[in-house]
Amino acid sequence: MTLFRAPSETEKDPTGEDFEALFEDAPCGYVTTTPDGTITRANRTFARWTGLDQQALIGTPFVDLLTPSTQLFYETRFTVVLNLSGEVREVTLAVRCADDTELPLLVNAVTFTGPDGQSGGIRTAIFDATERQDYERQLLSARRAAEASADRVRVLQDASSAFGIVTSAQELAEALVESVGPALLASNAAVLLSRGPEPLEMVTEDETIRELLNSGIRELAEQAIGSGEVVTVSNLDQAGALMPGLDDALHAQRLASLSIAPLRTDERAAGAIVCAFGRDRTFDDDTRQILAALSRQAGQVLRRVRLQEELAHRALHDQLTGLANRKLLQEQLDTAIAAAARSDRALSVVFVDLDGFKAVNDNLGHRVGDEVLVEVAERLRRVARAGDPVARYGGDEFVIVCEDADAASGEVIAERLREAVRRPLDSVPPRYSVAASIGVVSWESGSSKVPSADHLLRLADEAMYASKRGGRDRVSVTRT
Amino acid sequence: MTVTFPPPKAGVLRRNNVTLSGVVGARPMVFAHGFGCNQEMWRTVSPNFESDHRVVLFDAVGAGRSDIAAYDPVKYDSLHGYAADILELLEALDLEDVVFVGHSVAAMVGVLASIRDPSRFGALVLVGPSPRYLSDTESDYEGGYEQDDIEGMLDALDANYLGWSEAMAPLIMGNVERPELALELTESLCSVDPEIARHFARVTFLSDNRRDLGVVRTPTLVLQCADDVIAPTNVGRYVHEQIAGSRFVQLSATGHCPNLSAPEELTDSIRAYLR
Repeated sequence: MTLFRAPSETEKDPTGEDFEALFEDAPCGYVTTTPDGTITRANRTFARWTGLDQQALIGTPFVDLLTPSTQLFYETRFTVVLNLSGEVREVTLAVRCADDTELPLLVNAVTFTGPDGQSGGIRTAIFDATERQDYERQLLSARRAAEASADRVRVLQDASSAFGIVTSAQELAEALVESVGPALLASNAAVLLSRGPEPLEMVTEDETIRELLNSGIRELAEQAIGSGEVVTVSNLDQAGALMPGLDDALHAQRLASLSIAPLRTDERAAGAIVCAFGRDRTFDDDTRQILAALSRQAGQVLRRVRLQEELAHRALHDQLTGLANRKLLQEQLDTAIAAAARSDRALSVVFVDLDGFKAVNDNLGHRVGDEVLVEVAERLRRVARAGDPVARYGGDEFVIVCEDADAASGEVIAERLREAVRRPLDSVPPRYSVAASIGVVSWESGSSKVPSADHLLRLADEAMYASKRGGRDRVSVTRT
Repeated sequence: MTVTFPPPKAGVLRRNNVTLSGVVGARPMVFAHGFGCNQEMWRTVSPNFESDHRVVLFDAVGAGRSDIAAYDPVKYDSLHGYAADILELLEALDLEDVVFVGHSVAAMVGVLASIRDPSRFGALVLVGPSPRYLSDTESDYEGGYEQDDIEGMLDALDANYLGWSEAMAPLIMGNVERPELALELTESLCSVDPEIARHFARVTFLSDNRRDLGVVRTPTLVLQCADDVIAPTNVGRYVHEQIAGSRFVQLSATGHCPNLSAPEELTDSIRAYLR
């Protein structure tokens, strides 16, 4: 039994040629590089796969052989992991072959120490991953497509349920911002709406977009509405080319791109959803489809809520003059009485009855009569204090509710209204004069018990009659 | 019920996994890592400044040991989101006259942060910066890459993250002792949620910050490696030309990560600039 045996010649040095052949023609590629990645040796297999000259490979940076896409991956991850841990496993890369085709690779690499104890370089084992790659590509694109369509469906479903419960254009706009902004990863989003021919107005809050409205965004939104197409601006150069100055305005707000999708309903209403992004964006088909679908949905909802709003408005307003009707007046007066009682403040109600209107109506016809009413209503609205509700109470009767106004202020306001009415009217010849008999009732909280709306209206009506009896075109004031 | 919120300072420090070392009260240096890794990138560089600086390391949200829950895809859809975090971090630590050392995309993040609030910055050190990785034929700008390359890179990211490739390639063994970092640890530190990696790659490689360079008012050093395929020399020179008063230094280190491959040269160049 031999415990110790000197190694035989063949064991100690198996034929160098065998090792050489094993290395050169191994079923995988081998590449050795310096620590910074310059190739010092590559085996025949690698040269054969890539079609590159085995000798010419020496001295070439390994990264130069890679396709641009995998260069990015190699430099940002591969070399980092290799440097930090000395080893990289199972990384997919691709090299550009001599015939300009791409060869997908699976790569393992380790760093090794040189004879001097310093880092000697990197050894890389390379596997042809062509078949693998095709398979992965297919899986990958299938996965992407599935994810993209799932995302799209989710966004649209979320939006549908959010849109379903909105009751006003305002709520719709907010729901739209909530769904589109995050779906597109927009840093800012806002909705612009208009009624008929009125200009677009921003109805949701976003200070950044508000500041940009006059730098071209309003115009782009109008373009989008006009064409029915989504308008996109991918980068600042494009922005500047479309609207001079828009590029600088966006850049100042740390933005780089925009998408503007129209919400088209009908001649009564239109709008747009504006999204802004902090970097260059290309808007692919998926994104455009989502935007188009959302704006189509939102457009339909907008039409519904506008109609509802219109009906609600009609139920509370006088069709002819647009003033509050008796029903709304009742509500407004109730609210004003409660507020005055609560805050201990005065309240005046002004009752206006036109003098000379019947003659106009009888002699010149209802159409002219209507014109007079519209013109008078407009004057009353203009002359009344801002925020004071003006209502058409009956045929030629109007009521103005003046909060926080005592008898003296009520009288001043009434005098102003009287002056406004008696000025000549556009719609009637000068020989017909129209004036106003006005009654004011003023209640000072604490002076008597809280009156009802009907009570105040009755007292104001009585004061108006006092003016009629006193010779018309005058103001009578009473207190309760 | 009482709800206690962590003080904002602690929140920021935890969110970005901030590590502090060096001399308290000395000039602060903030090291920012680029795409693909985390503060480990600076492990052989930042200690060289600990003797006479306050050294601040951190992980960008989504990377390393940052608070992944803080990853808001809307906020981080542009580099401005990361820049905002830097400013919050400087504010939380109340740092002034900061030397900001940013590698790769973090160089541009530092540029954006310094524009937004120049008052806290004393110097910018941009290591391998690129304001735009895509070439732009209209303005004769050679970023080095085309849109398709970036899409391909995202494919490569996915392919490498999905782990379909396991145990296919022959393993080879090295002879280097690496006591510092186990492979698993590096992998776990450098790999993030694939969704976040994809998104960060998009934001990094599809941003165009050329217009921001002209607005920089902080003294700036541009450090350029040789043979850097990610940020080629013409791009480094462009950055230097656009930032008024900046200094350009060509390193002999090759590749995109001198913080890993040539920490001494990188250290010396930064020290020479700060002197």
